[in-house]
Amino acid sequence: MIDRIKKLYTDNKTIFLIAGLAAMIALPFLIVKGSVMSIIVKILFYVILASSLNIINGYSGQFNIGHAGFVLIGAYTLAILANFGWPIWVLYIVAGIVTAIIGFLVALPTLRLRGIYLALVTLGFSEIMRLVALNWTALTGGPMGIKGIPSPWFFGLRSTAPHNYYYIVLFFVVICLFTSYRVINSKVGRAWMSIREDDHAAMSLGVDIRKYKSINFMFGAFWAGVGGALMAPFYKFIDSSMFTLDEGFNILSMVIIGGQGTLVGPVVGSVVVNLTTEIFRFADEARLLVYAVLIISMMWLRPQGLAGTSKSVIANRSIRKSKQVLLSKLSGKKEVK
Amino acid sequence: MGVLLESKNISKYYGGIKAVQNVDMTVGEGEIFGIIGPNGAGKTSFFNVCTGNLQPNGGEIWFDGQKITGLQPAQIARRGIARTFQNIQLFNFMTVLENVKIGFHIHEKTNIFDALIHTKRYREDERMTQERGLKLLENLGLSENADTLAGNLAYGMQRRVEIARALALEPKILLLDEPAAGMNPIETRNLSDFIKTLRDKGHTIIVIEHDMKFVMNLCDRIMVLNFGRKICEGVPEVIKSDKEVNEAYFGKSTTF
Amino acid sequence: MYFLEQLINGICQGSIYALMAIGYAVIYGVVGLVTFTYGEIIMMGSFSAFYYFIAFGNNLWMALIAGFITAALVGVVVHKVCYQRFLDAPRYISLICTIGMSMFLKNLATILFGSEMKGMPTFFGGKFISIGTIRVGYLQLIIIAVVIILTVLLTIYLKKTRMGMRLRAVSQDKKAAALVGINVKTTTLIGNCIGCGLGGVAGILLGVYYNSVLPTMGGMAGLKAFSAMVLGGLGSIVGSAISGVIIGVVENLGIALTSSGLRDVFAFVLLVLILFIRPQGLFGKKGN
Repeated sequence: MIDRIKKLYTDNKTIFLIAGLAAMIALPFLIVKGSVMSIIVKILFYVILASSLNIINGYSGQFNIGHAGFVLIGAYTLAILANFGWPIWVLYIVAGIVTAIIGFLVALPTLRLRGIYLALVTLGFSEIMRLVALNWTALTGGPMGIKGIPSPWFFGLRSTAPHNYYYIVLFFVVICLFTSYRVINSKVGRAWMSIREDDHAAMSLGVDIRKYKSINFMFGAFWAGVGGALMAPFYKFIDSSMFTLDEGFNILSMVIIGGQGTLVGPVVGSVVVNLTTEIFRFADEARLLVYAVLIISMMWLRPQGLAGTSKSVIANRSIRKSKQVLLSKLSGKKEVK
Repeated sequence: MGVLLESKNISKYYGGIKAVQNVDMTVGEGEIFGIIGPNGAGKTSFFNVCTGNLQPNGGEIWFDGQKITGLQPAQIARRGIARTFQNIQLFNFMTVLENVKIGFHIHEKTNIFDALIHTKRYREDERMTQERGLKLLENLGLSENADTLAGNLAYGMQRRVEIARALALEPKILLLDEPAAGMNPIETRNLSDFIKTLRDKGHTIIVIEHDMKFVMNLCDRIMVLNFGRKICEGVPEVIKSDKEVNEAYFGKSTTF
Repeated sequence: MYFLEQLINGICQGSIYALMAIGYAVIYGVVGLVTFTYGEIIMMGSFSAFYYFIAFGNNLWMALIAGFITAALVGVVVHKVCYQRFLDAPRYISLICTIGMSMFLKNLATILFGSEMKGMPTFFGGKFISIGTIRVGYLQLIIIAVVIILTVLLTIYLKKTRMGMRLRAVSQDKKAAALVGINVKTTTLIGNCIGCGLGGVAGILLGVYYNSVLPTMGGMAGLKAFSAMVLGGLGSIVGSAISGVIIGVVENLGIALTSSGLRDVFAFVLLVLILFIRPQGLFGKKGN
């Protein structure tokens, strides 16, 4: 079924995109409740965060599990500089650039590292960032966090209400997906994918692995920073407990559930995950159990993610084979009937 | 005929194992040069030293009048040495056309900002890779498979995609590591003809191969390695009549 | 003197990390996959001891055995859910599975046991030996002794028994092990259970050392174990043990110099620095 939806989409891409965008713009007029709108804004945050992680994990095949660290830098950059009176609109971009620079610094040592070692460094980086934010009280407010982060002006209004802030986030979501799309369909994106697929072969074709890996990390970190910066004025308050490793795992789960290495994947992932956890909000603590079960069952049933093709690099071969056997058995049964 | 690639006294050891020992080689422009030898003779190790994938323990590689030992594989590729791999290393989950497009990487000038705002440079690069990529695929008889995932192709086709990808670099010299492995006789003959047309277009080619017949018919000159040492070098006729080569390949008292 | 005391605290804490890292190394060696559920295994071990103390009284030794068994049983579940199916699949699949499993166990524990911190009984009445002006707690000595004994037992088990040899064979080369007639499936499961059991014991020691258990205690513990295991050269038992002690000592000396809030910063900065200088870890072979 998923394949059929995909075909329908690729055949009528422009129509779908325009209709989708129109629906997104109309959405706040249809939904009255502020709480529902907040959830939608939250989903949009995660679209940016998951997409940015997907750039790193899905396209260049590096394994970053400490994405929350980058989000933290973006959020704190905005919150701290906003207190100095910088305009928020500028700060979204500044936060992105600062995070990209940090991303470059993290990428430097990791260029020599692969797989599990790289994963461990990103994990360590994420925790170091959180602990610094927790302990550097003078700058970050320490355990008290930073309160009263102002919202940007938007058509003459302070855009505090979710209905207004929604448009700001939507704007950045569109830019994020659009830029990702363009970069991926260029020399740069092809170089990333070649590194993911086979770095030796990529080198033999003259691809400068270090250069493209660091560009990749910076691009991903930039959008993670922007995503974090967007969150700060919306919640008006940030503290280090919002950026734990679990938060990083949360973003990672969205990427994987949606399907890494595809542009739509992270979007689908963040919608599905956030809706699931919101629907089960009544179940209180048990809702995370539901989320956990969702993650595990996805890995059992569709490891390439909802939007990933069965032909995708991450769809593992043995599962594909067993699936084929299963399918042929099923079709065999049908014939008997 | 100028010398294009030259190895001077190259040695490569793995611990105590001497994979390559003091090998000298000169390859002239426009030649098809063959490297043969039994399994484990050090052919691929020697190849990897030439392309920078391995650093030699001793000796130097000179290419086009410049020393290239110590350079990174990507730098060597940019100087004009392209290669294929013994056990095909395609980008399996990308289409055939995308594979070839990556081959054009060093000829594209796009940077990330060009890609973001679709500058003229980006548009030219995309047009160039698209047009020339399709042309290359056509030359290699792969046009129909342009949008197939490379990993889903038959073995012989994959070999051809790999050669197409390497040719996209527009290399001065092309290093083929066992290009005929796993091909049927017809495919092998086609490949042989194709390599000759490449030479006629001005490419220099080095071929590693097991298949004696293939090498003898194809190559202008041949070097024979055994246990990491060069035991013979010359035109095919010389190789055929060399006693040591025959012993290395077929055991004693066999005539070729 | 203060530093010397901190050094001893560091060694004690480090030896708990060492035991956790050894357990992790056994799992990584035999299963060949990274796990993020290990912290929750540690937590489960700790809780099993907590309830053992309530039900059967304060017998530390019996509780250690109970913790080992509980953690090993949880290990079976983790194995069935997260590893068995994915042994030949891309590694990230089982990794994400373990993240899901970790989330599951942590929240299940919160629901079952409550999210508040629970007190563990005090052992050896807080007695200590004085050497000059330095005090060393009985408990600290016992913890170090338990870790050393378990390490020695494990080494003997791996080197001398048939099962141990099978475990080592599987961790070196699964295919070759299968060729010489070893049941790789069962052996992997057993190896995982032993590793988890050791983690459970380490969890109890951690709980007793800090006099407390809580459902979220596993997260940081699991990360320390993972870090020590990677620094120790991915699956090396001796390397993991030494790295564990090093992390413990660096943390405690770091605290002595600055403030206790920075404890984990020292651990992670050390980790990143070491990987920066030696990408293959402290005791790993090059090209691993």
